[in-house]
Amino acid sequence: MSADLSVRIGELVLPNPVGVASGTFGYGSEYEALVELGSLGALYTKAITLEPRPGNDVPRIVETPSGLLNSIGLANPGVEAFLTDKLPALLAYPCPVIVNVAGATEAEYLAVLQRIEATLGPQASGHPDGPGIVGYEVNVSCPNVKHGGLAFGTDPAQVERLTSSLRAVTKRCLIVKLTPNVADIGSIARAAEAGGADAVSCINTLVGMAIDVGQRRPRLATVTGGLSGPAILPVGVACVYKASRAVGIPVIGLGGIMGPEDALQYLLAGASAVQVGTGTFVDPTTPARVLAGIGSWMEANSVMRVADIRGMLR
Amino acid sequence: MKQFEAEIISNRAVAPGWKELVLSWDKGAGQPEPGQFLSLRVSPRSDPLLRRPFAFSGMSEDGGRVSAIYQVRGPATSILAELAPGSAIDAIGPLGRGFPRPGPGELAILAAGGIGLGPVLFLAKSLAASTLVLGFREASALPRLDLPQGCVTCTDDGSSGFRGKPSEWISRNVPSGLVRLYGCGPAPMLAALAGLAAERSWASSLSAEQWMACGVGACMGCALRRSDGAGYLRACSDGPVFSADAGRPSPVDWNPRRPT
Repeated sequence: MSADLSVRIGELVLPNPVGVASGTFGYGSEYEALVELGSLGALYTKAITLEPRPGNDVPRIVETPSGLLNSIGLANPGVEAFLTDKLPALLAYPCPVIVNVAGATEAEYLAVLQRIEATLGPQASGHPDGPGIVGYEVNVSCPNVKHGGLAFGTDPAQVERLTSSLRAVTKRCLIVKLTPNVADIGSIARAAEAGGADAVSCINTLVGMAIDVGQRRPRLATVTGGLSGPAILPVGVACVYKASRAVGIPVIGLGGIMGPEDALQYLLAGASAVQVGTGTFVDPTTPARVLAGIGSWMEANSVMRVADIRGMLR
Repeated sequence: MKQFEAEIISNRAVAPGWKELVLSWDKGAGQPEPGQFLSLRVSPRSDPLLRRPFAFSGMSEDGGRVSAIYQVRGPATSILAELAPGSAIDAIGPLGRGFPRPGPGELAILAAGGIGLGPVLFLAKSLAASTLVLGFREASALPRLDLPQGCVTCTDDGSSGFRGKPSEWISRNVPSGLVRLYGCGPAPMLAALAGLAAERSWASSLSAEQWMACGVGACMGCALRRSDGAGYLRACSDGPVFSADAGRPSPVDWNPRRPT
């Protein structure tokens, strides 16, 4: 009997636990030639805002020890262009798609979600497990924009209010993406759960800064940026450990996953699923390698269901 | 575009601090065009982390080998410089948009500054006729490569060839007319070439250099400012070559601006 790799998040069933993280996979077409989309547990799109955003001034990225510091600034074409130019291809992909949503105000998040819902129509009842737009990931954790993002994600009351107002307009899977830039990630996760989220994902990037000593100048135009990559793996694992013990809803782990062992750390820490982000930039075969490695580990440890790994931490 | 394991055929020094890498090429990836690039993962370790982009400097006649000229400048290129022939390396390519062919009747003027030489040499080999103008700091920086007959060499200090920048040589020696000005080099050189093309109403095709994370258009990290002020273009997938017809401004603002 082959192992059961499927993941249940609320009513949603994902074919496997390995997704690709928002902001690192564009809208899918960018990686279509390099990554077998049908093998992805879920594709999380680049964040969509109500209006188009050009993004931040350049330079936007700098490499740091085992890390990538970025300040893209939610560059995206806005929800109308997304619906016209990106949605048709996303609906045709052979994997579940989760649309990442961002905004400067609660009204903006709501408007983006309503606009997409109005276009898609209500989700069929039952357990959606096929391709198509199966849910939303709410970005309350971007460190690189002046308004919204982190401003929401560090305040439990705001997270709960935003989550419940979004919950009211969609029956699709609703995931709230949390920031590690807080004192107690458990309280933010509980707020998302109280607001009606089906899951939380953590972590978004950590605030970081790099300086060119010769020039005595910050390396990023926005001075600070968000750190990703292997450097943040232990931070992400700890956040998942804490968040998963604070809530009853599933936790999706991400941050620094480069191989199967990293993903297994997240699953053992309490995650139900994972996302590969910067690891795809470094090697586009990372999501497939991670999935294969989880399968091998399950076989070696006689684990029949990926969902069982969560309880195996000694 | 394809990801595959390439074999290093040779990796020899061609100038102080410069090396020429020759790799086996998987023809299933598609044939590289001048101006396109490949990304290499120089080490399986996590530091340095990201792949690095390298412009093609040539391709063998049978398409089974490609080359890239690179400057040994940081941790990744230092590791690359030590890789011996026979080593395997993780390659993705061809990436980006290359140089367009000259339009009907257009004279091709090719300018390269420093390490921008590679893609310009590849372009020169693919064209029946062109004027090639190469800029270097000084005579000792000239690479030991088979440079095309009749190419113009410029040095900042006049120690070899024309004293000055390629843009200055072109400005003095190329008469106005139907021209496409091609260029690859440091930002100030590209700004000078874009200015010259605008002044003479020449078409231009200029290749950008920028830090990249994904190299395929997904991350938006390699942004360049648009010259019309309407946001940004991606060096990796909108470029790296940005072209403008005669009388049109280059799509990219090449003027280096300090972060505000």
